[in-house]
Amino acid sequence: MLDKRLFKFPGARQALGVLSLLTLIQAIAIIGQGRFLSVAITDLWGGHQLTSIGMVLVWFMLAYLLRQVMGVAKQYALAPFADKTTASLQTQLTQKYAALGPRTVANQGTGKSVTLAVEGIDQVHDYLTLVLVKLFDMSITPWLILLYIATINFKQAVFLFVIYPVIVIFMIVLGLAAQAKADREYETFNRLSNHFVDSLRGLTTLKQLGLAKQYAQNIYDVSEDHRKATMSTLKIAILSTFALDFFTTLSIAVVALFLGLGLMDGATHLLPALTILVLAPEYFLPIRNFANDYHATLNGKNALADIMTLLEQPVAPETNRYVRRSQRWQATDTLTLEQVSFSYPNADRPALQQINLTLTGHAKVALVGTSGSGKSTLLNLLGGFLVGDGDVKINEQALPHLQQRQWQEQIQVLPQHPYIFHDTLRANLAFYAPNQRDEDLIAVLQQVGLADWFASLPDGLDTLIGEGAMQTSGGQAQRIGLARIMLDEERRVLLLDEPTAHLDIETEALLKETMLPVFDNRLVIFATHRLHWLRQMDWIIVMRDGQIAEQGTLADLIANNGYFVTLQAAMRGTTHA
Amino acid sequence: MRKMILLIKRDTWVFPYLRSYKKLLALIIFLGFMTTFSGAALMFTSGFLISRSAQIPENILMVYVPIVLTRAFGIGRPSFRYAERLVSHNWVLKIVSTFRRRLYELVETGTKSVYAKTQTGEVLNVLANDLFKIENFYLRTLFPTVIGLVIYILIAIGVGVFDWGFALAIFLILGMTTILAPMITLAVNGARDFKQQQLEAELYTDLTDTVMGLQDWILAGRTAELAERQQADFNAINQLKSKQAHFNWWRDFSGAMIIGFTAIVLLVFATRHFGGSSFGVNWIAAFVLAIFPAEDALTSISTGVGEWPRYQNSITRLNEMDEQAQAEAQLQTTQQAAQPSNPTIVLNQVTFGYDQTPVLQDLSLTIPDGQKIAILGQSGAGKTTLLKLLLGDEMPLAGTVTIGGTAVADLSSQRATLIAVLDQQPYLFASTVANNLRLGKLDATDEELWDVLEQVNLKELVVQLPDGLATPMSEMGSRFSGGERQRFALARILLQDTPIVILDEPTVALDPITELAVLETIFKTLHDKTVIWVTHHLTGIELVDKVIFIENQQIAMAGTPAKLMATEHRFQRLLALDHGDLMLE
Repeated sequence: MLDKRLFKFPGARQALGVLSLLTLIQAIAIIGQGRFLSVAITDLWGGHQLTSIGMVLVWFMLAYLLRQVMGVAKQYALAPFADKTTASLQTQLTQKYAALGPRTVANQGTGKSVTLAVEGIDQVHDYLTLVLVKLFDMSITPWLILLYIATINFKQAVFLFVIYPVIVIFMIVLGLAAQAKADREYETFNRLSNHFVDSLRGLTTLKQLGLAKQYAQNIYDVSEDHRKATMSTLKIAILSTFALDFFTTLSIAVVALFLGLGLMDGATHLLPALTILVLAPEYFLPIRNFANDYHATLNGKNALADIMTLLEQPVAPETNRYVRRSQRWQATDTLTLEQVSFSYPNADRPALQQINLTLTGHAKVALVGTSGSGKSTLLNLLGGFLVGDGDVKINEQALPHLQQRQWQEQIQVLPQHPYIFHDTLRANLAFYAPNQRDEDLIAVLQQVGLADWFASLPDGLDTLIGEGAMQTSGGQAQRIGLARIMLDEERRVLLLDEPTAHLDIETEALLKETMLPVFDNRLVIFATHRLHWLRQMDWIIVMRDGQIAEQGTLADLIANNGYFVTLQAAMRGTTHA
Repeated sequence: MRKMILLIKRDTWVFPYLRSYKKLLALIIFLGFMTTFSGAALMFTSGFLISRSAQIPENILMVYVPIVLTRAFGIGRPSFRYAERLVSHNWVLKIVSTFRRRLYELVETGTKSVYAKTQTGEVLNVLANDLFKIENFYLRTLFPTVIGLVIYILIAIGVGVFDWGFALAIFLILGMTTILAPMITLAVNGARDFKQQQLEAELYTDLTDTVMGLQDWILAGRTAELAERQQADFNAINQLKSKQAHFNWWRDFSGAMIIGFTAIVLLVFATRHFGGSSFGVNWIAAFVLAIFPAEDALTSISTGVGEWPRYQNSITRLNEMDEQAQAEAQLQTTQQAAQPSNPTIVLNQVTFGYDQTPVLQDLSLTIPDGQKIAILGQSGAGKTTLLKLLLGDEMPLAGTVTIGGTAVADLSSQRATLIAVLDQQPYLFASTVANNLRLGKLDATDEELWDVLEQVNLKELVVQLPDGLATPMSEMGSRFSGGERQRFALARILLQDTPIVILDEPTVALDPITELAVLETIFKTLHDKTVIWVTHHLTGIELVDKVIFIENQQIAMAGTPAKLMATEHRFQRLLALDHGDLMLE
């Protein structure tokens, strides 16, 4: 129940030490509270006046108060540790995401990465406060009470002691049965519970097919099936809580009966009997509390494990090996790949195989090939977002990979869908080169053809854009991405991943006129499906199944009459006589 | 508080269902009450039992009734609890089924505001999540509160049977935890919860920016800044949460102290009332011990009510959507006409615009039966608007849109038998291949399915699947590539067999080679139908009979591809661009 890694967090031992001390004091207070209450009741039963038991009642109230104060004190003891630990985990997660890079994080799922850092951390926080308290309660309080009961009535103590593992075993057995049943039905269950969102998403399609109205009944029916499946699982799932409840309450009833019989035989007196009766529910309380929050325990433990696994993931070593000759990529600089290969995790064949490539100075290089031929993988590898095998050299400097800080500070990327941050237009434009003058920003907006759009913005450069604010169309996002690049003159290596694939042909033509001058004095690596760009390129690399099928100038490749010619004929379509 | 009452008054989502399922609701509350009652009664009878036994009665029969009752309540408590949990979950899930249908119908009615908003997956998740929250509202807030209040009142009445003075005292003391504490919780946490939700939304946006924009942060060398920004977000939220936690600790502490105090009041009450007689003293233990098992039921009211702000937004959102939809539903016309015999489409001097911005001006166009027409134009030129007008989703401000002489607005109920649509991302449901295809024609035989699959060149692929037609598509059809998904959707449209098919950039997400292959299949299989194809570039343009360009709210260019190629310089230029003229000049 306790993750060993927990003790590695700073302050863990101290916090847990204080917690066990407080729990111990609380357990003593509980015993005192039960004892004084029993004394008071017994005295009154014996015919004493209310006034004569005033002192006992005061003691009861003090013990009761101490117990409750300890309850709060335990929270105060754990909170700083929990807050500090989760805060540090949060920071570490963010830093880890940055170190792992965009591709690894995207592979894990962007949704999951965000959820882990918010809900996952919340669950860990709960685990560190609520669950630890319950865990410590369970391992200290019942045993102290049992010890005390043993001093009063050994037989009752033995009964209570024996029943405890029985309860636990029943809980585990029934819990496992429920789990098995849930596992068996998990798939149906999942399918049924996803059905609703699935239907809502497909509503447009259902409408187009004229089925939308009829489908409402289907939603209801499937939901009812889901209810039945859930109920049948639930019937067993909550059996384990039932068992716990049943055994604990019944044990109290049995204790009461035995005590009653003992009293009638004259074998015992009211005070010890009453004390045991009052303490019996307290004996079972911790395990009941713990079982009720069992799910929180599991979630917290799993979230902690997920976070720790992520934090322990290896990152690329030696990211500071590369020392650039100057900030700007020079006309004499050279990048070489030798026998470079790359495989995605769990893939059956490599995404890149034995890539040999030399890129020199301010060349304009096109990457062509069908989808899945490895263009994007190669671009990601060049950008240092993926780490493959093989030799990489920049200017005769041998490097383990391209995830080099100084290299990444030389490059710029224009992806298919540039990400627009939820921020002002100014911050979005000047993302790479802050402290730009407004006039410069507006001038660039004009150059990329966003002047009209800019004029329509309510707050000019201060307008909030991005998800949840003013949305941008695909074409606008692409132009903003281009503007970002144009505003940073210091970076002279440009990687483009099909930036115009989803634009209409006229928009693309307009954008091309803006882009071509940017290509000058830069090393450009451009993955594209659109053939018209090739005429402006110095060198063309043709990819096929993760390998370089051909490379050369356009004239070379046409003269060669190889795969490139076949490919471009297919791309050009049927006509074109 | 006023906001809450107003919301409850206007609500059509949560509270009306309480009325329509009165009996089950009463059962749940009864079972919940019995759970706590049995727990208290167990301690009550036990207390009495051992007190009475200590007097050493001559005969065991004298304590026979408490012995039986002790056992009965011991078994009763867990049984009632088990039953209560089952019945309440069942009730909630039943209501959720109704909710889902209702929410679906709401989105489905096609009222523009709702419809437009639900286009993004995020909104759908929000809606599905809202339903989930209402589920929790019933289970965690409403039921425990009602049960707690019932117990509170019955305790006071129980004491009141003997002594009204003490009853009033207990009523007031326990009222602090059952009435006052929840109200204070609501007042204190309400504002905090609102702030917390705001901060959480901010955190989500920032984190999404971090994760989605990670590449840019890394390249810009600004990752340190990222951690700093996140830290600030987290700190703000954690501070708020910590304040909330402190409040809750001390509230629960006060709740427990009130119970302890009540125990002493009960002790005094029982002694005053029963202390005199030798038999009466046995009730003292009974009354005092019975209050402790009721603690949970009484203090859980504050916890439940404290969660209200969390549910409030969800309930408000669903209600607002309802109101909006109702308002718009009244505006819709419901006139219906017979199916036209000849599906010729005529747009006559159509003008349309949003707000003050005109999109189309005096546009006229006739599409005869069987024609294949391509609509070109820059993004934002009005291509999609034109489709909406054809489908009757938008009404022209001036002019008419007719199919076979009937206005499209009057054809909405037959639309699915008249027009099929293939868009960029046709939805494939998380069901089997066969079920997905049959959506086009519900009674299609397996033979028919295989026939259309053959037409769209998917037969071989489906034959190879582990379960053939019965293979699940898996969510979002992610088992298949983009080109294959479009082909499945096309097969569905072939089964739908409508005289008119609209293609809304169906190949935008595909690479050029796949794109061309899909387009060729589309035009081959739809050869006998009217096809209206919106496209943003010219791949496959030679497959159509007619091309129109929309520009400046008008048709700027129109003709057969061959004619445009011969006469229009602009068309030639675009074609050259699109086909990438590689011949070295």
